[in-house]
Amino acid sequence: MKIDKETFNSFDLVGKDLSNRGYNSSHAGNLSMKSGGKIIITRRSAMLGWLQPEDLVIIDLEEEDAHSGLIASTESNVHRNIYKHTDAMAIVHAHAPATTALSMIEDEITCIDGEGMFLYKKIPIVECDIPVGSYEVAEKVAPALQNYPAVVVRAHGVFAKGVTLEDALGVLTGVEQAADIIYRVKLLGQPLKRDYSKEKGFTNW
Amino acid sequence: MKGLFNKIIEVNLNDRTHQIIEIADEIYENYLGGRGLGVKLFTDRVSPTVEPLSPDNKLVFTIGPVTGTSVSTSGRMSLVTKSPLTGTIFYSNTGGIFGFSMKRCGIDGIIIEGKSEKPCYIIIDGDKGVKIKDAEELWGLDTEETYDKLKEIEGEKVHTLEIGPAGENQVLLASIMNDASRAFGRGGVGAVLGSKNLKAIAVINGKQKTEVDNPELLKNYAKSALDKIKALPVTRAALPLFGTAGVLHVTNSLGMLPIRNFTYGQHEKAPLIGGEAIRKEILVKTEACYGCTIRCGRLTEAGSMKGKGPEYETVWSLGANCEIFNLIKITQANYHCNKLGLDTISMGVTISCAMELQDKGLFPYEEVKFGNEDVLSELVIKTAKKEGIGADLAEGSKRLAEKYGDAETAIHVKGLELPAYDPRGAMGHALGYATSNRGGCHLTGYMAAMEIFNAPKKIPRFTLGGKPDLLVLKQNQSAVEDSLVNCKFSGYALGFDYQARFVSAITGLDFNVTRLLEIGERIYNLERVFNIGAGFSNEDDKLPERFETVPFKEGLSKDRVVPINEMLSAYYNVRGWDENGVPKKEKLEELGLK
Repeated sequence: MKIDKETFNSFDLVGKDLSNRGYNSSHAGNLSMKSGGKIIITRRSAMLGWLQPEDLVIIDLEEEDAHSGLIASTESNVHRNIYKHTDAMAIVHAHAPATTALSMIEDEITCIDGEGMFLYKKIPIVECDIPVGSYEVAEKVAPALQNYPAVVVRAHGVFAKGVTLEDALGVLTGVEQAADIIYRVKLLGQPLKRDYSKEKGFTNW
Repeated sequence: MKGLFNKIIEVNLNDRTHQIIEIADEIYENYLGGRGLGVKLFTDRVSPTVEPLSPDNKLVFTIGPVTGTSVSTSGRMSLVTKSPLTGTIFYSNTGGIFGFSMKRCGIDGIIIEGKSEKPCYIIIDGDKGVKIKDAEELWGLDTEETYDKLKEIEGEKVHTLEIGPAGENQVLLASIMNDASRAFGRGGVGAVLGSKNLKAIAVINGKQKTEVDNPELLKNYAKSALDKIKALPVTRAALPLFGTAGVLHVTNSLGMLPIRNFTYGQHEKAPLIGGEAIRKEILVKTEACYGCTIRCGRLTEAGSMKGKGPEYETVWSLGANCEIFNLIKITQANYHCNKLGLDTISMGVTISCAMELQDKGLFPYEEVKFGNEDVLSELVIKTAKKEGIGADLAEGSKRLAEKYGDAETAIHVKGLELPAYDPRGAMGHALGYATSNRGGCHLTGYMAAMEIFNAPKKIPRFTLGGKPDLLVLKQNQSAVEDSLVNCKFSGYALGFDYQARFVSAITGLDFNVTRLLEIGERIYNLERVFNIGAGFSNEDDKLPERFETVPFKEGLSKDRVVPINEMLSAYYNVRGWDENGVPKKEKLEELGLK
């Protein structure tokens, strides 16, 4: 299986966008998509803002293989478990700052702005003893993504799924936008004039 | 299982008897309802080699857990049988209110087998039970007349599934109409009813309520879904204002509206027959299925005639694809199809096939030529009666083209005529045509929603990477939506997680997205296994040659052909099928299939 130019371009575009937004440090974050029954994933410590063709690695969808252990992203087991247990076709992971900050003081992110409420309502937060790359992360993130488009690993960052990389990027940046608004409102220190989230039955979501 | 009644009526027309059979919870948990339940009940009872128009073939009509609930767009039901047009297993679904009305009678479906000696109809009466009655006075009536007559006999509140003369004459393009308005349109399912001398199925007086595990939660989810449907322009504005025919303006601008039997991808006159023209020139009022706020249905008036439609597929098949751009003539031919009980897609594409044959000097009827709008209604009527040239058209495009010596003129997959999205304009959609279990169908995977309308997500239409994987996901999702049963149009606005929320709130069981997708995969594989038993193989997962070799020369889809074989091998791999397209033993075992 080869990686065609259009596919590489998608990784390149999404990586650059994340880098430009400052969501990751220079060598952090990871991207993947399902293709032909395999996973195409970024190489460990790849610079997402400056991806080269050899930064994309093909790994097995079902089990660990040499590539996934030796050169693929540290989070490749998390990506694989998400693909095995959800409808994700592409995954974007980044350490989006507002979302990551909120994850340290909240148990879930309940959107309060119109766009966030319309698109996501709530984003779950999971907590892990080893919040990076562990099997525990893989086991907790995948179930949360079954019925939600994104999940936050406390003190670590966001995993967003989509039908394409661009779609998953849209989810991740949308969640960060919603979190940023909550963050700013908290900074203002004033109660909400109208809390829509309490009117829309989000508690059952 | 909550949301359903665990009861099915089994009717044997040979001796006009019926019985109620109980369905175990386990079946619903593995197949949900609708298409999944129908496929399971059908494949358990019918050999893949059955002759579709013989008494041994069966029809399984079913509703699902979501049917008739507070969920918008849930007024649908499903049918499974073996198609006389394709020879494959055939799933179909219809809107309207019949599904809800049948559910109110406390049953999840009806299985029909055998053949009545004389014409008959089945009445399911919530007060008086099930009866099979003589229908000799109905035989020969068109679908509107049949519906009216049954209202006269059974009461004004009756709802019906009925065939017209096309079904009676076992035309392979015959549909089953629903209150003479909506349709189980494709695959010649009306001919199966006709072969059994069964004119109609009617329901009335249902009063039973479906038990919902958590009505408040369902209400919450349904409200949220409705918010999205009301917010997205496709479901809030485009479909209500312009009906499905609004799509024509988009496909034409993208250069993928098939013209002249799939020879060109756009035409300057196309807007004359699109949704905007329908709204401006012939619309009387919009109509909706039970419980639906989208209201994509049209009641129209064309010349001296009045009726339902036309849909996008119809203005294209009887219009643009025949190089006909007279909206009145197209709409009148559409009315005739509805009244006579004919699938407008297969009817139109069979006519355009005949026109191309005539263009090539292979078809002896001079008047059947591209652009001749005066011949449309006449061809439809003759087809329903199998009269003269109609006897050839009644067999569908594949058999027609083979008879007249140029099989490639027929634009079909597995015998089912392709619908109104040229495969050269969307690669995932193209692969969907080739691999659909019922043949050339746009709804089995409906990749066009994402590749063309960016709904609910955008994916690039010409990219190949990842398309087989996405298509498998969409096909499995569609199998689930058809089993719940929910309308494809809600999928424009809603993520698939909504389906999981709906069915979990209704049943009280944990149907998360992953579990639903496994059910979809099980249904899809069971259909595939049936088709293999019926003699189909990877040789049938192909597109007409022109899509692989002849690109359009103009428009936004120019210079593209479909590398179907390249995508197909990846598709089989993703599906867990071998290189011949046969599900591997371990895949079937994983899904609990023998």
